[in-house]
Amino acid sequence: MSFCFLHTGDWQLGMTRHFFSEGVQERFAQSRFDAIRELGRIAKEEDCRFMVVCGDVFESNLVDRKTVSRAIEALKDVPVPVYLLPGNHDSLNAASVYRATTFLERKPPHVHVIEDTNPIRVDEGIEIIGIPWPSKRPLQDLVALTTGQLEAAVDTTRVCVAHGMVDSLSPNLDDPALISLSSAEAAIAQNKIHYLALGDRHSLTKVGGSGCVWYAGTPEQTDYNEVKPGFALVVTINGGGVTTKEVNIGRWKFIERDQIDLNTKEDIDALRAWVENLGDKERTVVKLGFVGGLSLSLHSELEELIYHVQEILGAVETRMDNLVVIPEDADFTDLGFSGFASNTVERLRSNVEDSGSDADTSRDALALVVRLAGREL
Amino acid sequence: MRLLRLRLANYRGIDESEVQFGRHGLTIVEGPNETGKTSLSESIGLLFDYLDSSKHRSIDAVRPAHHDAGPEIELEAESGPYCFTYFKRFYKKPETTLTIKSPNPENHTGREAHERAQKILSETIDIDLWRALCIQQGEAIQQANLSRQTSLSAALDIAAGGHQADPREESLFDKVKEEYGRYFTERGSEKKELQEAQKAQAESEAKVVSLEKQIQNLEKDIIRAADLGLELERLKKQEQDLRVDLFDYMKSLDEIKSLETVLETARLKLESAQKSEQAAKRDKAVRQDLIEAVLKAQKAHAELEESSKSSTASVKKSETDMEKAQSDSFATEAQRKAAESLLNLRRADFDYFNNKLHLEQLKERKERIDRAREEAALSEEVLVKNSVDEAILKTIQKAERSLITARAMLETGAPNVLLRGLTDLDFQIDGEHTTIAKDEERNLSVSDRIRVTIPGSLQMDLTAGSSSSDLLKKVEEVKQKLDVLCNDAGVSNTDEARQSFEARREAQQSIARRKEVEQENLRDLTYEELERKVLGLGKGVPAYPTARVPKPDLPPNLASAKEALRSAEAGLERDNEAWEVARTELDSARKVRDGLRERYQKIRVELDLKADELKRAKDELSRSRGNASDDYLESEHLKCTKAVHKEEENVKSAEANLCGKEPDRVRILAETAQGSLQTAEKKREAAQQENTEVRTRLKVFGEEGLHEKLHAAQSHLNYIRQANKAMIRRASAAKLLYVTMKDERDKARRAYVAPLKEKIERLGRLVFNDSFEVEVTENLSVASRTMDGCNVPFDSLSGGTKEQISMISRLACAMTVSKDGGASLILDDALGYTDPERLKLMGAVLAKAGQECQIIILTCVPDRYSNIGEATVVRLG
Repeated sequence: MSFCFLHTGDWQLGMTRHFFSEGVQERFAQSRFDAIRELGRIAKEEDCRFMVVCGDVFESNLVDRKTVSRAIEALKDVPVPVYLLPGNHDSLNAASVYRATTFLERKPPHVHVIEDTNPIRVDEGIEIIGIPWPSKRPLQDLVALTTGQLEAAVDTTRVCVAHGMVDSLSPNLDDPALISLSSAEAAIAQNKIHYLALGDRHSLTKVGGSGCVWYAGTPEQTDYNEVKPGFALVVTINGGGVTTKEVNIGRWKFIERDQIDLNTKEDIDALRAWVENLGDKERTVVKLGFVGGLSLSLHSELEELIYHVQEILGAVETRMDNLVVIPEDADFTDLGFSGFASNTVERLRSNVEDSGSDADTSRDALALVVRLAGREL
Repeated sequence: MRLLRLRLANYRGIDESEVQFGRHGLTIVEGPNETGKTSLSESIGLLFDYLDSSKHRSIDAVRPAHHDAGPEIELEAESGPYCFTYFKRFYKKPETTLTIKSPNPENHTGREAHERAQKILSETIDIDLWRALCIQQGEAIQQANLSRQTSLSAALDIAAGGHQADPREESLFDKVKEEYGRYFTERGSEKKELQEAQKAQAESEAKVVSLEKQIQNLEKDIIRAADLGLELERLKKQEQDLRVDLFDYMKSLDEIKSLETVLETARLKLESAQKSEQAAKRDKAVRQDLIEAVLKAQKAHAELEESSKSSTASVKKSETDMEKAQSDSFATEAQRKAAESLLNLRRADFDYFNNKLHLEQLKERKERIDRAREEAALSEEVLVKNSVDEAILKTIQKAERSLITARAMLETGAPNVLLRGLTDLDFQIDGEHTTIAKDEERNLSVSDRIRVTIPGSLQMDLTAGSSSSDLLKKVEEVKQKLDVLCNDAGVSNTDEARQSFEARREAQQSIARRKEVEQENLRDLTYEELERKVLGLGKGVPAYPTARVPKPDLPPNLASAKEALRSAEAGLERDNEAWEVARTELDSARKVRDGLRERYQKIRVELDLKADELKRAKDELSRSRGNASDDYLESEHLKCTKAVHKEEENVKSAEANLCGKEPDRVRILAETAQGSLQTAEKKREAAQQENTEVRTRLKVFGEEGLHEKLHAAQSHLNYIRQANKAMIRRASAAKLLYVTMKDERDKARRAYVAPLKEKIERLGRLVFNDSFEVEVTENLSVASRTMDGCNVPFDSLSGGTKEQISMISRLACAMTVSKDGGASLILDDALGYTDPERLKLMGAVLAKAGQECQIIILTCVPDRYSNIGEATVVRLG
């Protein structure tokens, strides 16, 4: 028997980002709803029997009604049955979003919430074994627990849908909820399940060597540290064999650049060029960390550049802790002061050189005097 | 700029006027009013400020009033490197020409000339400073406003040893101040914008905290909801278990209740049997009591009869005893009464003698008083008649002593006659018979004249001489005085006077004695009481012997009466004692008799009662035996005792059955189970209630979108924080820059104020004295003057001094800027407030200043400037 389904997860609907302005935040949110429709389109295109969403469908159980409504509206456009698994962000606790009035009243019939580990018969010979999170912090390996209670499948193909980190990828081995990869692979070997669809990790990742354990990752990137975000998997199970197909969905990019050297005008020009080179700027988020030393005038130029970049990119975060502004003679020679203004500049520069408690303020004051004098000149 | 020549034509009332100024030093332009002095300084301003085509009211004001011609101004001057002649005609045939001679010859006309002239001026002089320094009419007292004079500032900067200040620095400072003012008030407090930004941040932080709290509460509720689910399950199970237990206990309790009923019935039967047995026993006892009562009554009746008999004999004997005692008592009482009568008689006798004696004593006392009273009455009379008291006696005795003295002096001074008897002879001296015995000698002192007569034989007159006559006269006087005194005292001579005095003293003593006698004899009585007693006793005492019974006899005297009284008293005492004994015995006998009689009566009554009692007991016993015999009662009692034993056995058996079921334990366990069930139910209800509440809260708040709200609030807070951080950073920078720049500017100002101050003081010391000092502000105005250690603010100085210091200050400025960018100083009608002495000194100041800069003085009072040293004088009008 051969069939395919769409494996996705970590939609994180309702996610917000502090570095987004209101308008960008709205666009970012909308992109995630658009991704659902895109997944639906792909499911149809790939002739998928159903779609499994492996946890963290919502960013939180406490999301706004509007978010729930918009999610349901998007789900309505998905043409195949959808199985939503509660993960750690939207665990099936007393405040579960899946028990919210809005969700229950508007949920279309082809959307199902996996509320327990009882096998769900999707179709003739196809079962889903869902392992929902009952709380934010389970105290055991739910996959091992569930598969341990299963008998080997007979004339049925079982897709196990779970959420959480596998032990082979986790840096924190003390977490009692870690999913034991060996245990999962043993369950596959024992014919208890045939494919383990995982959520939680936002990067598309193949786990272990069986080829039957995968993280689909998030369909839209959410942070800088995600390795391969923006994908979904079309999984085909044919007899005992599993094949997967990566499908690119995501449109947003999160780029982090640290240790950008800025010392000369050329460095600033290079930075400008790099930004100019970025594609799809309005869906690009960058985080820039600068190092080096700039004169007042070059610093002004940098500030202007950043201001410009902020206008055209989705969001820009900068870290200037390691960038020093050094007032240079050239900053002031053009001003041509000789009286008290000149003495003022000298005193402030001396403060900067002494690196005392008011060095930063003195630097700002120098920049201000340059600006005001510039306005005057 | 130095003015060399100025020509005005058709200017106000001036047709034509030209003034040549001294190239250096002082120029005095003198002339009466309305000769155009003020126009000179005014015209220079108009020349440079207005185009020849200008219709400005200032130009209009200088048009000549009486003819239609354009006002003309022509100035020849040097400014910086330039030497030029500048001409303008306004209104009528307007024209402007500028001819520059050096450094390079240039000729300009029209607007070009105007602009070129302005350029030269702005290049070479500080026109504002020039205007500020010049004194216009009527403003001599005011100080020049020098706060924004760049050339002065530049000159002072250079003089202070610094660089020449860039004029844009002031402008920059204004901008810095403006930037500072965006965030802070002048006093350095934060402005509303900064405060509101911080307030907004605080509010945003509070909102985040509030949302976090709400979410935390929801998280708690989520955990609580899970716990409550488990709790409810547990309580439900507990309730079920308790219900099962309770059912078992209730079943056991039912069994226990039926056994308790059996026991209760057995106990009731036992109680009934016991009661029957008690009744039979009681009937038996009652019968026995009846028998015993009859026996007892019989015995008591016999005893009482015996007692009655013995009691009758005792009563009789006691009555006999009492009769005897009664006769004894009568006899002793008669004796006692006789003794009592005798005692009364003896007491009356004794009183009689006593009263008699007392009467005599009282009479004597009364007599003594009466006598004393009589004597006192006589003495009173003596005192009335006799007036010779001690003083009078002493006066008479003194007079007597004077007479004796006078006589002795007469005798010693008078002739002496010695008579010696040769025989016993009768003779007369001054007619008085006297005798002299044989051989008797007698001295006769002849104080005046003595006649010795021997009757029948001889008459001899002896006469004293003249000295004796004086002494005699004196004797006569003294004697006369004595006689008068005696006569006054009612006595004939001294001896009589003495007797009278004695008699008077005795009378006084007699009066005094009367009181003593009265006191002594009346004692505690008044005289009247005494008199009444004497009268009373005087009547009673003599009557007693006759009134008294004849027998026994009246004793002869008081002592015997007293003796008889004592004897009678002793007799009465004896008889009394005997009577008392007899009476006591009688009472005792009567008591014994009465007691025996009473006892006898009691025994009689008891005997009657007992006879009745015995009869009744016998009747009762006989009636009871008639109802049930003694044997019947005995058999009934035995039967009942057996029935009680049987029922006791039944009760014991029922108790053992009940005890086997542990009723107390079962009951306690049932109650405990019931209580536990109630507790579990309550707990479950409370948990259910809380569960409903928690789930309601989760339902209500869980769908409010707290997640997004929190993120939105956090984003907003983040934005505000960054914005505030940036704003605070900007504000801090502005503050630091402003504070630093102000400090530097103040420092620079203080430095460049120093040369100006020094110049003002140097010039001022010429007018005032060497202690003259001024305080110059950063605006270059004089704030105060110090002289001889006394500091006075400028505004408090006199008009004259203000005027002088203002001019000195202007001159000092002009001298400061004279090297570069300097301008001629025009003083129009200055020093009007200055007195002649100071004018002289101010002249020296002007002369000194004139050595360094061009000074043009316009005046209508040339005498004011007669002491300014060398000067170019121009006369107008």
